[in-house]
Amino acid sequence: MQYKSIKKEEWDKSLERLLLSYTIFATVKNDFGLDYEPVDASNIVEISYNKPKPATSLKSFFLPIKENVTAKVQATKPRIIIGAPNCDIAGLEILDEIYLDKDFKDPFYSHRRENTILISADCFNITEHCHCLTYDVKPYSTSGADLAVVHMNDLMLFREITSRGKEFLSQLSFLRESDNKDFAAEIKEKHQYVESALTVSNKGLPDYKTTGSLVEKAGDEVWRKYSSGCVSCGACSTICPTCSCFLLIDKPGFEKIKQTDACQYPGFVRVAGGEDALVETHRRFRNRYMCKYVWKPAKFKPTACTGCGRCIETCIGGINKNKLFVELAT
Amino acid sequence: MKNERNIYKPFRARLTGVIEESPLIKTFVLIPEERFSFGTGQFIELSVDGIGEAPFTPSSSPVVTEQIEVTVMRTGYVTEYMHNLKPGAFMGIRGPYGRGYPVEKFFGKEVLILGGGCGLAPIRSLLYALENVKDKLERVILCYGSKTPADCIYKPLFARLNNTEKFEAYRTVDRPDESWDGSVGVVTTLLNKVNIDIRNSVAVVCGPPVMMKFGTIRLLEIGYKENEIYLSMEKNMSCGLGKCGHCMMGEFFVCKHGPVFTYDEIKETPDIWK
Repeated sequence: MQYKSIKKEEWDKSLERLLLSYTIFATVKNDFGLDYEPVDASNIVEISYNKPKPATSLKSFFLPIKENVTAKVQATKPRIIIGAPNCDIAGLEILDEIYLDKDFKDPFYSHRRENTILISADCFNITEHCHCLTYDVKPYSTSGADLAVVHMNDLMLFREITSRGKEFLSQLSFLRESDNKDFAAEIKEKHQYVESALTVSNKGLPDYKTTGSLVEKAGDEVWRKYSSGCVSCGACSTICPTCSCFLLIDKPGFEKIKQTDACQYPGFVRVAGGEDALVETHRRFRNRYMCKYVWKPAKFKPTACTGCGRCIETCIGGINKNKLFVELAT
Repeated sequence: MKNERNIYKPFRARLTGVIEESPLIKTFVLIPEERFSFGTGQFIELSVDGIGEAPFTPSSSPVVTEQIEVTVMRTGYVTEYMHNLKPGAFMGIRGPYGRGYPVEKFFGKEVLILGGGCGLAPIRSLLYALENVKDKLERVILCYGSKTPADCIYKPLFARLNNTEKFEAYRTVDRPDESWDGSVGVVTTLLNKVNIDIRNSVAVVCGPPVMMKFGTIRLLEIGYKENEIYLSMEKNMSCGLGKCGHCMMGEFFVCKHGPVFTYDEIKETPDIWK
């Protein structure tokens, strides 16, 4: 892989200058851990690189919790998002399938996608529930983002992914072609380290395809057992980088507010007259797994679960889907 | 910013007439404020300003574009508001959405239509469309069942169809009253009365889920092929755009890939009859 480099100090100064023409968000450590935060001159130095993974997913930058979708799309300052791990970048692929669909392109999502430069960060270590590699998502980006960044010693090293990323980099002063092959080798070593750490940590976890057929075959007793702690709070869907269902709420003047929704909420599929195919919790619980591992893969190419593990971390019922999959696989 | 039509924004339609079809069912006659046309079996999202919207398949002829008719059963929050609307009010329309009936595939064939309850609304639109191309069809047979004689909508339709060349219409009720001297029983019992050339026939089923289920089972029993049975699926089609997820039926977004499916396409899909 080819890298371009800039001194960390120069990169930070560049970001300060870029704040004049861009809104910047980046992964920053806050009181609760790592998360995407707005960047201003005061916290540029606090931007965290090489680390997995922000507490929330990248999705909310493109699909806000609530928005008026009958309003006009507002031209806004272009955005830069720094530090998104590849599990989040990969999640955008399926959102693109749905929201940039050629028949019905969502103008708001589309504007935000076009208006955002994505700088992904390579993961140099893993957290407890990371399992991207099991689903063929690498812990570093080679597509989907515009650039990938690595922080090493006093240098920022960039991999160019898109022409937009390349163009963005070319406006930075002090940028150098990285002639030091040792960096590339060192980064490769880090990638290999993370990949082997993931392999060890995810031992016994079935891959994406196998998971699909296991989920499809699993009987009611499994869904009842694992959903016994589910309170239908919808946190798993809310935090998921690929869950994208919504509700339209009518307002006077034929306006519509689009609000995120989740198939885990009671009544999600209820029709007028009261018929509801997912009235029981375990049926809704199963629905999410069928959607991610069976139905979406049947319809779309990208994976509908990128292995970020946030649904496990966020569940107040302590439900661990990977335990469920290991049980199904054994 | 390109001035593309906002996919979420309804256009207005003026309500010019309200026809009481049965105690629970009204037909709304609407004049859209924008150019609008639909294919029979496609659906629209019809909204009451500030209250909500719901999916309906228009019950009028797809050939008539200056006005559309939508038949609505009072059954929930939004339809309750709809039933209180008076002529002169404005409603919102988005659509048309989805895949309707492939009428051209019916050419040269006998078309058997099984309808139940409010399912006659989309069927009426289909019948208008079929009347329009009747020269290209062998026969059209409508078998319709309602709970009681009073629940049957579009009563004049039956007499008219029976006076139309190539068309036949039969009715049955689950619970007769003293005025009823016709068939009694579920809609599939009518199949014993009609003589169909099944080898050269397609079937269309539209009605409540339980009727669709047993209708389909009976059609398969009498020899219809799975890819010759057309089902109009009803799910919670909320956005109509294949995005919001509420109408997901297995891998399908009913709003985009349906609402009309052949049985063959969805037979392995869970919860199709719910």
